[in-house]
Amino acid sequence: MAVHAVSKTRFVLPVLLMAVSGLLLATPSALYAQSVTLSLSQNSFSFASADPDSTPTITGSPAITVTYSVSGTKSGGGWTMTLLAGGNLIAGTATIPISNMTWTATPKPVFQDGMMSNSLAQTLASGLGNKSNSTGMVTFSLANSWSYNVGTYTASIIFTITAY
Amino acid sequence: MKTMRFLLLGAAVVMLAATQTLGAATATSNVSVSATVAATAKLSLSSSTVSFANADPDTTPSIAATEGAITITAKGKTATGSTISLTVLAAADLTSGSDTIPISNVTWTASGTGFAAGTMSKSAAQTVGSWTTSGSRAGTQTYALANSWNYPTGSYTATATYTLTAP
Repeated sequence: MAVHAVSKTRFVLPVLLMAVSGLLLATPSALYAQSVTLSLSQNSFSFASADPDSTPTITGSPAITVTYSVSGTKSGGGWTMTLLAGGNLIAGTATIPISNMTWTATPKPVFQDGMMSNSLAQTLASGLGNKSNSTGMVTFSLANSWSYNVGTYTASIIFTITAY
Repeated sequence: MKTMRFLLLGAAVVMLAATQTLGAATATSNVSVSATVAATAKLSLSSSTVSFANADPDTTPSIAATEGAITITAKGKTATGSTISLTVLAAADLTSGSDTIPISNVTWTASGTGFAAGTMSKSAAQTVGSWTTSGSRAGTQTYALANSWNYPTGSYTATATYTLTAP
């Protein structure tokens, strides 16, 4: 009987420890169910044609207001907002490198300025803790050049907010 | 007891998986961008006048322009596959009262990618430069007048028009 009792304890204890550890790991997520929302004031903006000598940088219009919320962040947790272009600006066979497009954003330091990329998401904003209906404004710019071929160029940009 | 062990192990695995799934929240939104590039041409010359001094035809058979080389900057945006062209056309021969010097006696040499030498004409625009893509180009044009003992004395003038076309 004594041998039987020892064997039972040796078997049950590791299993219980594993279950408890699983519960402990799962608990933070259950308590801090993260949620983020993101909306843009515009779903498009444009750059008008201009003389590169008098307008070396073309300002996109309109500026975009970003409204975002973050909830359920863990202690010390935060969030990041990024921009990623779907490709270069394209008009038929003509292209303008998407890296010729930059942005300025406010308010700082939550938001930051940057240069567009179609290969690596670029940080637009970041912060810690929760946010409720916070806003930022993003104004895009395009470096003008005589080397651009005539055409109507298009590209897409993905705004992404992630809480961690 | 073996069944109990597997159930507990399974529960632990499910909880671990749930932890990873709930670890990050993400939202995305798309915006489209458009940029219009219109056909544009812009031309500048370093000098708006060209003059030739009087000279002995024997010692100076070709009179170089007093201003030296004219710097030309031709900027243009054109459609893919189109050609930007720069031409010059004289309005008439060199004229002094009733005397004339054929404008075809005026020639030029050129430097710079896409720029070409040529002879002035009053009937057909002559090519000064051409380029197959959009861009900003700089070059020089140096005029010369063929000298001759046949020219009547006088102060001759003519006008010429440069045209930069970016289709």
